[in-house]
Amino acid sequence: MAATVTSLVTATEHDPDRCGSEEETRGAEAEDIDQPQQQTAPAAAVSHSRLSKLPLARIKALMKTDPDVALASQESVFIIAKATELFVEMIAKDALVYAQQGKRKTLQRKDLDNAIEAIDEFAFLEGKLCKDCGGKKM
Amino acid sequence: MAERPEDLNLPNAVITRIIKEALPDGVNVSKEARRAISQAASVFVLYATSCANNFAMKAKRKTLNAGDVLAAMEEMEFERFLEPLREALEVYKKGQKGKKEVSEQKRKEKEKKANSENDKSREDEGEEEDEPMEEEAENEAEAEEEVEN
Repeated sequence: MAATVTSLVTATEHDPDRCGSEEETRGAEAEDIDQPQQQTAPAAAVSHSRLSKLPLARIKALMKTDPDVALASQESVFIIAKATELFVEMIAKDALVYAQQGKRKTLQRKDLDNAIEAIDEFAFLEGKLCKDCGGKKM
Repeated sequence: MAERPEDLNLPNAVITRIIKEALPDGVNVSKEARRAISQAASVFVLYATSCANNFAMKAKRKTLNAGDVLAAMEEMEFERFLEPLREALEVYKKGQKGKKEVSEQKRKEKEKKANSENDKSREDEGEEEDEPMEEEAENEAEAEEEVEN
């Protein structure tokens, strides 16, 4: 799924005109653009992951479970994917504060719970996370 | 194929990577914490989608667009996301435009070979952006393949 999405992006990147504008915005990762066009998943995945690490198809499938949602533009799916990435970063960092308070270097579930309780932005999560998610492999 | 929210999780490897990159070296994350964050991320997607959809419905639109999502972020008190999201959107739009221009070029070349007198001008972008949600998730790949054609 991710491979299908990412392989399409490489089609643009061997065009030097396109590369120019992309290099300005891509910063340190610009050297990837100079690689010859490859259809292999890893090279394509690198270039696409700069925009979104989370697979858009999966995000869209999640959005689809809402019965009130009829259509969503590709851009909206992308922005939600990106926002989710930022959210994961944010909650991990905020939970870390509690782990450090407990003099631990390992983030634990209770640190998440503390962060959710303490931080207003995470109020929507209260009661939403299953206590003991048995069966879900990580 | 109806999929319940509980069945859909974001890929564990990606979630783990995002977490690791956000935290300093030497910090570990327990399995339970990772699972909880992954779940929280799914809940976030659903909540953001619902919120964004409200804005779309208020504007009497049936299609969620990027602006709705940005408005939802503000509503959810995630204003700190707005700036990085806008920047990412710009890059994404450029990439999409590039894809379309390349596929348009390919199409033109094909037709030139076939007709050798075709002088069609380039179509504007924007047609491909709305995708019906009731279709399978694979259709996203199909829609993008259409762009490539």
